[in-house]
Amino acid sequence: MEAFGRIVKMYMKTAYSAALDYVCNVEDARDLSQDAFIAVYRARKSFDVSKPFFRWFYTILRNICLNFIKSRRKLKVLSEDVLEFRSDDYETPEGYASYSERAGIIWEALFKLSPEHREIVVLRDLSGFSYKEIARMLDLPEGTAMSRLYYARNRLYELLEGFDF
Amino acid sequence: MSCPRSEIDPLRYLDGVMSPGEREEFQRHLESCEDCTRTVQRFEELGRITRRVKMRDPTDEFWKTYWKSLYRRMERRVAWIFILIGTVIFSVYAIYEMIRSFGVLTLEKVAAAFILIGVLLLLVSVVRERCHQYKVDRYKDVKR
Repeated sequence: MEAFGRIVKMYMKTAYSAALDYVCNVEDARDLSQDAFIAVYRARKSFDVSKPFFRWFYTILRNICLNFIKSRRKLKVLSEDVLEFRSDDYETPEGYASYSERAGIIWEALFKLSPEHREIVVLRDLSGFSYKEIARMLDLPEGTAMSRLYYARNRLYELLEGFDF
Repeated sequence: MSCPRSEIDPLRYLDGVMSPGEREEFQRHLESCEDCTRTVQRFEELGRITRRVKMRDPTDEFWKTYWKSLYRRMERRVAWIFILIGTVIFSVYAIYEMIRSFGVLTLEKVAAAFILIGVLLLLVSVVRERCHQYKVDRYKDVKR
């Protein structure tokens, strides 16, 4: 249990933020990322130690999130204030409100993407994973991952077109 | 007709995964290809936006309670397993007693029969739903 606790502490932030990318709701993301840890604990004997842990964990987490999305016709209300600008212009209340509003527009646009498109945009453009890492995590050929990113970025561009950032 | 290179190459170009030679060749291609130029411009613009945002970190309190609530959930699962085992043992014993005194109709037997029928109906319903879910599950082949 102690080793499991260490694993949770090591990966909880990554797991939570990955789940949030899928479900866009803070409470659901917390519950689903915890479900993934529980699943990992229960399946610990089937884990092949010669393989990377994170890839195995991510597959479990991804399945849990996609099954959750599939089991619900509509996702819960979109959580607010999840994205923020990497900017120092928060010193004035006006600056904060303006950046917060713009971050909200981007978050809403991400929410409108399909789960598959959202996941690839977040992995590449927000989390900065390489194409090779993304292909491994999603169990896809690298070319397919890039092609999916092409369509996802185009869709996101259309959704954000016309807004002033 | 759209350029066959407009899907992958603009991504590789913008993300810096092209070799210097490929990059130079693609830059020359951009001068004569509207599709690829448009994709590069779109993605450059989008990149300027996405590079500037990040996920807001939850509060320290959130992380403090994260492990605690996960631990509680696991603890509760163990509690449910104990309850389930106890219920099964109790039910088997009740059935055994009912069979032993077959022929005598008592209120306890009627109540137990209703509970048993209810549990069986629930079980059949859950099994049927799981079978249906398995048939339509797009992710069932994904290895865990």
